[in-house]
Amino acid sequence: MEISTNDYRVWTEGASIHYEGTMRLSGTEAYAPILEIMNSVLGSKPDLITLDLTGLEFLNSSGINLFAKFTIEIRKQPDVGVRVLGSKSIPWQSKSLRNLQRLHPALELTIS
Amino acid sequence: MSVTHVGTEAPDPQDGQSVGRFSRHSFRAKFIAVVGAAVLFDLMLAGGVAIWNVQRLSNDATEKVATGLTSATEEYLRTYIDTTALRTDLLLDQVFSEVEALGGAMQTLIDNPQTGTNVGRTVEADPKLGDKLVYNPQAGWSQNSPGESVVSVWGYLLDDEGNPLPEVEAQISDSSAFNLIAPGILKTGSPKLQMYYVGPKDKPIMRTTPYTDQAQTFDKLYPGHNEDNFWDFFFPGVYEGWQSWIKDPGNRPVDRDIVGTDPYIDAITGARIVSFFYPLWTADRSDVAGMAAVDITLDQLSNLVENVKIAETGFGFLTSSAGNVIAVSEAGAETLGLVSVGGEGQGVTGIDRLLGKSRFPEVANLELPHNTGTVIDSITLGGDGDFNEETGEGYIVVLKELSPINLWNGETIVSENLTLGFMVAKDEIYAPLTAVQLELSEATERIVYWQIAALLISLVIVTVAVYAISGRITKGLSQLAGAARALQNKDYSVRVDIPTRDEVAAAGLAFNRMAEEISFHTENLENLVDERTKKLETANKEIGALNKRLKSENVRLGAELDVAKRIQEMVLPRRSELEIIPQIEIAAFMEPADEVGGDYYDVLFDGEHIKVGIGDVTGHGLESGVLMLMVQSVARALQEKGDKDPIAFLDVLNRAVYKNITRTKSDKHLTLAFVDYIDGKVTLSGQHEEVLIIRSTGETERIDTMDLGFPVGLEADISAFVATLDLSFGPDDILILHTDGITEAENAAGNMFGLDRLSESAHSNRHKTAKGIAEAVIDDVKMHIGEYKVFDDITLVVLKHR
Repeated sequence: MEISTNDYRVWTEGASIHYEGTMRLSGTEAYAPILEIMNSVLGSKPDLITLDLTGLEFLNSSGINLFAKFTIEIRKQPDVGVRVLGSKSIPWQSKSLRNLQRLHPALELTIS
Repeated sequence: MSVTHVGTEAPDPQDGQSVGRFSRHSFRAKFIAVVGAAVLFDLMLAGGVAIWNVQRLSNDATEKVATGLTSATEEYLRTYIDTTALRTDLLLDQVFSEVEALGGAMQTLIDNPQTGTNVGRTVEADPKLGDKLVYNPQAGWSQNSPGESVVSVWGYLLDDEGNPLPEVEAQISDSSAFNLIAPGILKTGSPKLQMYYVGPKDKPIMRTTPYTDQAQTFDKLYPGHNEDNFWDFFFPGVYEGWQSWIKDPGNRPVDRDIVGTDPYIDAITGARIVSFFYPLWTADRSDVAGMAAVDITLDQLSNLVENVKIAETGFGFLTSSAGNVIAVSEAGAETLGLVSVGGEGQGVTGIDRLLGKSRFPEVANLELPHNTGTVIDSITLGGDGDFNEETGEGYIVVLKELSPINLWNGETIVSENLTLGFMVAKDEIYAPLTAVQLELSEATERIVYWQIAALLISLVIVTVAVYAISGRITKGLSQLAGAARALQNKDYSVRVDIPTRDEVAAAGLAFNRMAEEISFHTENLENLVDERTKKLETANKEIGALNKRLKSENVRLGAELDVAKRIQEMVLPRRSELEIIPQIEIAAFMEPADEVGGDYYDVLFDGEHIKVGIGDVTGHGLESGVLMLMVQSVARALQEKGDKDPIAFLDVLNRAVYKNITRTKSDKHLTLAFVDYIDGKVTLSGQHEEVLIIRSTGETERIDTMDLGFPVGLEADISAFVATLDLSFGPDDILILHTDGITEAENAAGNMFGLDRLSESAHSNRHKTAKGIAEAVIDDVKMHIGEYKVFDDITLVVLKHR
């Protein structure tokens, strides 16, 4: 599955979800299609869901809310592991992604 | 719909009007011009060739006829002159034969003296034929009395009594046979004036038949003749000439004994005559024994020559080799310009009409032929004397030399060739040719005229025919043009009917189809427009209704936004509230990206304790505003309750908000941090953006708040994550709180404003009041953004220790 616009691109490779570009969508409703993709991956109950954010340059607060909510959903299913890949060179990731781990301590966060 | 003129040149209105009609611009005129030109060219070419051929034919014919007629004329003239020459020769020959017959008989008597003497005595004895001489004492000569012939005996041949001397007496007797022979010859054969006999030089008695008063006439015309020798007096040189022939036969110029004379006036008859002598020889041929002679009038020759008639006035003439014209008609003499001159002859009177003395130099210069056969020459007479063809009259002169004769020229005997000449005006002889030429020329002219007339008539017929046919040929085009014009004038019912089966008819069919389509579309256009209009009206009504609904919706939304905005504005602390705070100078700036922002800040002051909050609700709008209001209310309530523990404060606040969010099924949450000030010390709690502190020394501190809390509204219990951080905050120290709207403000190049710029901006303005610092930083942020879009709410709170 894939969503692609001028500003960003979201696509899945198996249980990996990749994010790229700048996501500055206006609210929860606007992020719904992306959440749908993420939920469908979660619905397949994989052993490990990988969220690759290394190409995501910018994410607004509604987007952070999306990831927080998704993390809480994963947390409800202990069988599903989650791994988040971030980049040190992108400022918002190094501080905001830690919150995801706090929400779900089993979340594997790799900021490289 | 717009009308487009197709074509390279816009036709002027008149041309437009005249399309299809006959004018010099019309197709029909061009068609006629092309066909007409082709036919004209054809006719001109054919006509020209025909006329040229006719002219050539005419010229050829004229030339042929001219050549033919000229040669025929020449042939005719040659034949005619040959014939005439032959006749002349024959005439002379006959005369010669008759004088030869007389002379021959006399010669026979001489050659047989005894018989001659006997014959003479017999004749003399005859009472009728015998001479009966009568002496004329006054005149001194003796002559016989009238009879068949006359014999004259001159005085020097008589004795004193008037009787002939004895030998003369014998001569008279011996030659009296003349009386017997000559009269018969004279009367028969060709017309002769007279025949005569003259005795030898020593006894020159003269016998002549018919009888005339011979001696009397001589006495009258030639006084002194009776005293001189006859031969020497009348014909000097003739006798001696003959005598020279005996000595040398080569002296005889022409191989015939006959000797002629030049024309002269006859002494006896007064006629213009020519004499021909036939010499008699002695029996031993040692000397001349007299002669027999004949006189003929020139009339005979003249008749012959003058009877020559060529064309109208063509004439013949006979001339001696010396150019003395012997025979010619009066008119001929006039044409030749001859002048008669009386001869100065001693014995006989000659006449001269010499060609050489003609009034016309061309005649005078005529060269007579000699041994050259027939000569045809062409001369012009009556000109200006210098051979002027235009004023003079052209003549053809034909000359032919006759057979030669011996001629006594008054002194001696020479060979003479008479020349026969014809002269005819060219105008006359060539009259038929001229007539033929004229007729040919006229015929040619007639043919040419007819040809031209036929050509013109053909042209007229062709033009009329082409005009008539062109109407039929271009009728279809005219119809099309007219129909197109009608169509242009919006007459869509127009149709053409072209009965032919050519391209024009095909164009007509296509036109009819197009006209039908145009007609159909045009006539249905109104229906279509009506239909569409109705549909549009319906749609418009629907849109209107929708618009009304939208308007009401907008009003509702607008009202909603208005409410949210009011709430946000109401919740924010008043400036008056901030100004009364004694230790800390606080300035705040907030600008929402949309009508209602998601940013939150508040200053809670209870008299001694200052609590400053800053947060960022996810999203915007009424829901975010309400959440913010909730947070503010809870915070206010907790502050009023006197809860001084920041951790508990945040924990309770989170629980309250979380539960409300769950109840309202809102997806939102917020970051939230607090700064508590009391007695030169600040306590930071809650997770938000980095806090910036600029010390009074100018030193800048950045405090990460990630480990001081957790987003509010996400989890039911966040107490495990909340922590506090105490920091000193003395006089002139500056503390700056902001939302990500400032650091993430982008310019057109995509560069964010960032914490570094914020820090620098605040640092460079640190000596200003809190309000001054806030304004300066916001100015820098806005300058950074420029014309680019503002994505997020911008909130800045500056605290400066007094």
